[in-house]
Amino acid sequence: MITLKKLTKVYGNGPGALTVLDNLDIEVAPGEILAVTGPSGAGKSTLAQCIGLLERPTSGQVIVNGEDLASLPERRLRVARRRIGTIFQSASLLSRSTAAQNVALPLQYLGVTPAETKARVAELLERVGLAHRADHYPFELSGGQRQRVGIARALALRPSVLLSDEATSGLDPETTLSMVALLRQLRDDLDLAVVFVTHEMDTVLHVADTAARLEDGRIVEQGRLVDLVTDHDSVLGRALQPRPAAAAPAPGSTPWALSYDSRAVPADWLQRVSAELGEPLALLAASIQSIDGTSTGTATVGLRAPAHQAAAAFARQGLHAVPVRTAGPDPVSTAVPRATEELQWA
Amino acid sequence: MGLNISAAVQIRALADTPLPELPALLVPALGETLAMVGIVMLIVVSLGTPIAVALHNMAPGGLFEHRGTYSVLSWIVNIGRSLPFLVLMAAIVPFTRFVTGTNIGIAAAVVPMSLAGIPFFARLVENCLRDVPRSVTAAARASGGSPLQIIRTAQLGEAVPAILGGLTINTIAMIEYSAIAGTIGAGGIGYVAVTYGYQRFDQTVMLATVLLLIAMVTIVQLGGDALVKATTPHLRRRA
Repeated sequence: MITLKKLTKVYGNGPGALTVLDNLDIEVAPGEILAVTGPSGAGKSTLAQCIGLLERPTSGQVIVNGEDLASLPERRLRVARRRIGTIFQSASLLSRSTAAQNVALPLQYLGVTPAETKARVAELLERVGLAHRADHYPFELSGGQRQRVGIARALALRPSVLLSDEATSGLDPETTLSMVALLRQLRDDLDLAVVFVTHEMDTVLHVADTAARLEDGRIVEQGRLVDLVTDHDSVLGRALQPRPAAAAPAPGSTPWALSYDSRAVPADWLQRVSAELGEPLALLAASIQSIDGTSTGTATVGLRAPAHQAAAAFARQGLHAVPVRTAGPDPVSTAVPRATEELQWA
Repeated sequence: MGLNISAAVQIRALADTPLPELPALLVPALGETLAMVGIVMLIVVSLGTPIAVALHNMAPGGLFEHRGTYSVLSWIVNIGRSLPFLVLMAAIVPFTRFVTGTNIGIAAAVVPMSLAGIPFFARLVENCLRDVPRSVTAAARASGGSPLQIIRTAQLGEAVPAILGGLTINTIAMIEYSAIAGTIGAGGIGYVAVTYGYQRFDQTVMLATVLLLIAMVTIVQLGGDALVKATTPHLRRRA
C-alpha cells in the first residue's frame, strides 16, 4: 500500500521557483496497478523520483505501509528505499556484471550472505523466466530480457511497492505485452502495489487497473480504467481508446462516431440498432476490447436514418453517438474525431 | 688542418659508446625510469581517483552535489593542468626541496611528476565517470546502496575499462615527464639521452634511448589495451 498525501515538489525558490508537482493525492492498494500518464513535462518523472525516494518532496508525504518515508533523515531514507522496488527505462544494469550479479546487487548492498544471495537470485531469475540466462552479460540479452533482470533486481528485497518508471518505453510492442503480463502476474503473486509511470497510452490499457492523468503537476483525472473508458466525458478515457481511421461511408449515408458509454453495452448492438432502425449498419472502423471483463471501445458506423432516431437507438444500447460531419473534401480523415488527435501523447 | 680533422675523428671515437657497453649504461637508467614512473603512478592513482570521484559527485546531479566546493576543487585541478611540465618543475623547486630535502634525483622528480599527474588523472577519471549512464547510479541508489557502495559498484566499477584506458595514457605521459625530469638530473633514460646523446653527440646512445622509449611506450599501450579488453565483457567474450 502506498499513499501520497499533498505531495509537492518545487525547484528553486523566490519568484523563479518552479512547482513541478502540486499537492498530489494518490493511493495504490496492494494488488492494484495504477498507471500515471500525461504529456511530457507534466511532472511524471519527478513524481517517479519522489515515489522512489530518489528526490525528496518539498512538502507532503510518501506513506508506505503506514510510515511516512519522505521526512526520514538521509541515512534512514536510504534504508527506506528498499521497501520500494524501482524498474527504470532501459533497465540500467551494470554492464560488467552478469544477470545474476545484477539481481544480487541490492542483496549485496544489504550484506546478505553469499549462500542466501545465491538462492534468492536463482528464485528471482526463475520468477522472471531468465534462469537459463543467469551467467549472461547485459550485452548478450535482448531489451526485454534486460528489463526482466531489472524487474528481478527491483524485487530482490521483497518490496511491497513496485515503481515502474517508463519501463516499457523503447521496447517493441510484443516485448511490452510480455512485460505487462509479467508485471500483472507478479502483482497477483506478490500482492504488490504497482505505480506504472508511462506516456504510452496503449500500454496503460493493457496493464492498469486504475489510471491518473497528470497535467502541469496536478492530477486532473483519476479513476478505475473501466470507468474512464466507458465515460465519454473523460479526456483520459478517450485518449486511452484507439480511434482507427474509418472507411468512407456509402453515398447518402452519414458516418457516426460511437463510444461505449456504459458497462452494459450488448455484444450484438450492431444487429440490435440495425433491427430497430430497419436498415443495415455499415461498420467503417472499430476497436473493441475487454477491460476487467467489461467490453469497451469505439466504432464508426455509416447509416441513413434521421439523426434523432439514430441517436436514440444508440443511446438505448448504452452507446454515445455523434454524427461526423462530412463537409470536408476527405471524408476518411474527418471521420476521425479531432479530440483524439489532440490527445496523442507520444 | 689535418690535425684538426683527426682530433675531431678522435673526439667522435671517444664519444660513441661501444655497443657492448650499452647495457651497463641503459639498464640502471631503465630501472630508474621504471621506479620514477611506478612511484608516481601509485601516488597519482591513489590521490587522483578520490579527487575525480569527488569532482564527479559534487557536480550538479552528483551524489553529494555541492557547487561551491566543486568550483574550488575544479579550479585547483585546472591550475595543476595549466602549467607545462618543465615550467611546473622549475617553479616548485622550493617546495620539492622542502618535501624531499633535495632538488635532484628520483625523489625530487617524483614531486613535480605527481603534481602534474594527479590533476591529469583526476580529469581523465572524471570524464570516464561522466560517461557512465546516470540511470545506473539511480538504480544503485534505488537498490539501497550507501554512497561508498554506489561509487564502488555503479560508478568506478562500471568505468573500469575506461579508467584503465586513461591510466595507459597517463602512464605514457609520465614516461615522457620522467625524460623531461631527467634533464634536471633526475636520472633515468631521459638523463642518459640528454647527457650522452645530446650533450656528447653520442649517436649510439641517442638511438638506443629512443628505441628504448618507443619499446616502453609500446609495451605500456599494449598492456593497457589488453587490460581494457579483459575488463570489458563484450570485448572479452567476442568468440
